[in-house]
Amino acid sequence: MKRISVLILTVFLLSCQTLPLINSSVSAVNENALICPSPFLKEKYRLVHSIENRMFDETQSVIIGVTLADPSTRFISCAIMSAEGMVLFEAESSPDMLKVNRALPPLDAADFAKNMIEDIKLIFFAPDGKLKVKGILTDGATACRYLEENGDWIDVINDRVEGTAVKRYSPSGILKRHIKFNKAAGNIYQNIELQAYETFNYSLLINLIEAQPAGNQYPRTKHSRETKK
Amino acid sequence: MKIRYTFYSLICAFVGIFLVAVPLIYAGTNDFEKLRKESPNIKTIQADFVQKKSMKILSKPLVSEGRLYYAAPDSLRWEYFKPLRSVVITYKNNTKRYIASGGKMVEDKTGGAQAMKIVLNEVSNWMNGKFDQNPSFKATINEGTNTRIILTPTEKSMAGMIEKIEITLFKKTSTVKSVRIIESANNLTQIDFDNVEINKTINSSVFQDVE
Repeated sequence: MKRISVLILTVFLLSCQTLPLINSSVSAVNENALICPSPFLKEKYRLVHSIENRMFDETQSVIIGVTLADPSTRFISCAIMSAEGMVLFEAESSPDMLKVNRALPPLDAADFAKNMIEDIKLIFFAPDGKLKVKGILTDGATACRYLEENGDWIDVINDRVEGTAVKRYSPSGILKRHIKFNKAAGNIYQNIELQAYETFNYSLLINLIEAQPAGNQYPRTKHSRETKK
Repeated sequence: MKIRYTFYSLICAFVGIFLVAVPLIYAGTNDFEKLRKESPNIKTIQADFVQKKSMKILSKPLVSEGRLYYAAPDSLRWEYFKPLRSVVITYKNNTKRYIASGGKMVEDKTGGAQAMKIVLNEVSNWMNGKFDQNPSFKATINEGTNTRIILTPTEKSMAGMIEKIEITLFKKTSTVKSVRIIESANNLTQIDFDNVEINKTINSSVFQDVE
């Protein structure tokens, strides 16, 4: 019985991931001097991207994504359309609401809207969780770690070689998303790579078509499908 | 599979709608029968197009540019050059869609080609002048300053996705002025054709080579 318990415990421990170690044991002065990377929007912006979906190391499809994002209110409006201009998906999100205005197959899956909005937030908005630790990763990159309300961890990382990245981990430390901003590009949102670790891993290669500050445009209206978050 | 079919049916409906417009070059009157009689005269069509996509989320329309090639009875190349390069090719009963990836064109892996083939077969009916015989759309012609053809979806599944399509012709020349696809109150696609050439020889490689 004791052996079985040890075996179960071993399997359990092995199945758990651990968050990468952030060395915060630098002097208080240096820690204060360490600035958290912030590749996030500072003002309301409208961005149009091409989005290439890759799975099993092959390109599956390429679509056009339109995002209107306001970091001050954390309001997001987004749309996906085919290259031919067919709108496949439209949704709006604010901190307490998610409205799906249009969702055509196969983008009408139950969690698609929620997951997509979460990915957009991860790319464009600073984490709204609490900063728990900041310091240096084992590879020398600067990192700030935030604890989200749902228990997820978000690392915002700045590496001199690799550039800026955002990683989302589950509460148990399993990597779920890895977003890389291309350091070489002029606009930080010019080339973005999102790697998703799901049952079937996939990646999105996101290339900027156009971007512009949005000011106070776009009045909000009532829509058909509305769900409380 | 059904989901994929629906998705690509919609895309192909879009492509098909564009194709509808071009045979109307020969539709000088509000008589669909005349259209059917004259359509066999069309051997090839090629034209440039500019597509403007308007949505509530966009402050200004998203502009796409491309070119259309058609050769009777069923060869098609519908190509976008920008902002996102993509090509739909139908040749000898085989339909494929290609998208730009890493500087080259790769085949769309989402499995829609077969469904596209089915839908494009319907489109070929339109190309043969059977414009008012597609059960998916009810077609009417309004004469005014310009001739306007209105297509209204008849199927419920389509009705929630496309409200109507308006094809406007210049009255004097009977050439296509514009195509407007109204998806909803906030979503509108307008396509303007230019440099339309009828029955000019098209090399068959246009329907075989993606690049």
